[in-house]
Amino acid sequence: MTALRALLRKELASLFGSPTAYVTLMLVALVTALIFFDHLRLYNQILFVYASSSMGGFDTDVIPDYVNLWDSVFFPVMETLGLTLIGAVPLLTMRAFSEERARGTDELLISTSLSPGQIVIAKFAIVFLFVLAMMAASFVYPASAIERGGLGAQHLAAVFLGLTLHGIGVASIGLACSAFTSSQLVAAAAGWAVAFVLWDFGWIEPFVSERTANVLDALALHPRYGSFSEGVVSLENIAYFGALALVCMALARLSFDLRRVGSA
Amino acid sequence: MSALTWIGCVAILFGLISFYATNHLGAFGIANLALGGVALLLALGLAVRRIGRGAGPYARSAIARGVAGVAVALALGVACERAAHGSGIRWDWTFERRYELAPQLADLLRELPGLKITLFYDPLDPRIRRTRLLAQELVRASGGQYAEYDIEKVPEEIDVYAVDSSNTLVLELGNDFQVVERPLEGALFEALYRLRAVEAGVIGILRGEGEGDPERETELGFGGLAAALATEGYELRSFVTLSMRDVPEEIDAILAIGPQRPIGERAQAALRRFLARGGALIALLEPGVESGLEDLLAEWGMTTPDELVIDPASGEGLDSEPEGVCPLVYNYETHNATRGLDRNRMTFFCGARPFDLSKPQVDDELTALALSSPKAWRSDDPKRLKQTSAEPEGVARGYQPIAVSGRYLRDGVETRIFAVGDSDFASNRYLRSLYNLDLVMNGVHWALAREPQIVLRPKVRDTVQFPLPVQDSLQMLYGVGLLLPELLLIAGGVLWLRQRSA
Repeated sequence: MTALRALLRKELASLFGSPTAYVTLMLVALVTALIFFDHLRLYNQILFVYASSSMGGFDTDVIPDYVNLWDSVFFPVMETLGLTLIGAVPLLTMRAFSEERARGTDELLISTSLSPGQIVIAKFAIVFLFVLAMMAASFVYPASAIERGGLGAQHLAAVFLGLTLHGIGVASIGLACSAFTSSQLVAAAAGWAVAFVLWDFGWIEPFVSERTANVLDALALHPRYGSFSEGVVSLENIAYFGALALVCMALARLSFDLRRVGSA
Repeated sequence: MSALTWIGCVAILFGLISFYATNHLGAFGIANLALGGVALLLALGLAVRRIGRGAGPYARSAIARGVAGVAVALALGVACERAAHGSGIRWDWTFERRYELAPQLADLLRELPGLKITLFYDPLDPRIRRTRLLAQELVRASGGQYAEYDIEKVPEEIDVYAVDSSNTLVLELGNDFQVVERPLEGALFEALYRLRAVEAGVIGILRGEGEGDPERETELGFGGLAAALATEGYELRSFVTLSMRDVPEEIDAILAIGPQRPIGERAQAALRRFLARGGALIALLEPGVESGLEDLLAEWGMTTPDELVIDPASGEGLDSEPEGVCPLVYNYETHNATRGLDRNRMTFFCGARPFDLSKPQVDDELTALALSSPKAWRSDDPKRLKQTSAEPEGVARGYQPIAVSGRYLRDGVETRIFAVGDSDFASNRYLRSLYNLDLVMNGVHWALAREPQIVLRPKVRDTVQFPLPVQDSLQMLYGVGLLLPELLLIAGGVLWLRQRSA
């Protein structure tokens, strides 16, 4: 237990002691603030165009259904942020295991009283914590703006819960990729490639049967976290991201076995 | 091996980027995906060969344990996800609780086992995300089946159901189906009601003395009321009062929508005979008109003087009508016809005459169903409908009955009357305002002794379409949106500088 706590402390210090973490936090929070504000501004402009006297004003039911807060603001923000996370998170996870491998410190870790499973759990937990911090920092401005506008932030909370789970899913993929290589560059590229492949299987649908397409659709990241933008939090989607993290952890654990026999 | 993996990952990445950029998998994308796949397979092959070459029996069993761990994790993950899927547990965090079905819609769905719901969509239509969720909620409540089709790919189904546009739901029950082009709860409720195909009764509508037109679709018409009655299972037949000698036997109720001229003696006599034999009457009156129905109602204890209810508590009307002439009613007597209506479920009447009730016989049940506020008073000046004028001194204020009901048992025959001092409240212009539709429909159901049909219909839940002031958003952007990243960057920079100097 002491060794696990020490490892957690070390991982925490190594992540939050690096400027990269702050730059990543800053970038994601800034991108969120800017795109959220931009969409909010655009939404207001569209509303005022419809509300102008030539269009009949607010009372005459002239505003189309699709001009609303979630279609015009929440959904596009979520789409952009989802892609941003796929770009940013593998950069964060690429060094988690591969750096230890490159330096040979993973051998040292294994020689401690820690089991590979504990090492994997510690590393995953710290990165998940970071993803949580990142999404919390990003949530502050949109939530303040929505609350200031007199609307409850619960719908937005669903959006950010979806994004957090998506971030955790991408981080799990990135960590699993990092566990199988000693090169940070390969780890990052593999993280991006796998996340993009899992993002949405629309590209393969013309080549497979409808049934296969349905199965692939159930495996894809995008439809899962996309439903959160509708304000619906479903246990099924939460379980999907939990299962993804679990499988990635098991894969990372497998990499230790492969490494131990010196064959990976 | 690393180089091969690197090449494979980058090739796959660019293959997919080309697809997402163009929404089409062209030669560039296919070549990259193929190259990436081959490179990754080669890398995997090399890794497997190394494992096979270097691993002894102990190593093989360790690897087998690891692979088994992955398999167990996969199985556990899939099982959890499927169990969660099966449980159907989800929480609606939308502002207006958009995906929680209205209880009346859920009740109706339970009455329709075997319902099949099909969504026709265009993949690029953003509305289908919401409709899909709503449809799934309908399926959960009804236990029916759900399917969805891209409208481009199923021309035969499109023809069969005459589907015109994306985001259309088709509700099927047996051989009958209903097409809902704007799938909101209210429209779905009505479509389901039509599918249920209940024969509720036959209503005769009086015509010929300037009554409201049940076939007219403009604001002043009553096409909406006629459609709602038909939806809820009533067969409608028109009767020209001038030629009416008697009300046919098959008629269960007579509906009079604001006659503007006196109804002939012969028709009135027919109506009296109809009521005496247990027929039901739904009378929507208008101030400033003596149609003869007023005398008939008075015989049943419902006196309606030719006056106008002025309710200062309601302020101006929707179209700047003079103050108080359009009472906003939120006081309802406890009665089956007003079941569910309360202070938060208002009805709206523009230009209404009041009623005074007095029982003709001791066993009669007369009820003032909907009443104005206690500040209301009666005016006999018809000009008040058009212009605001000063309030006369010493007016008698009090609750003014605007909608009333009567139930009479005579010689073993039950007669029911539902009367409202305004007909416009059920016109196309005001029918869907507040709870007007519910009051008139539930009044009709009550008059025809169809109490189980009395429900409050689901209301359209408006999407959030009001602006968030840019000035406020801008203040928050400076105060939080930019400040927080700035502080994070400063903290990261300071940390880096300190590490360098250490």
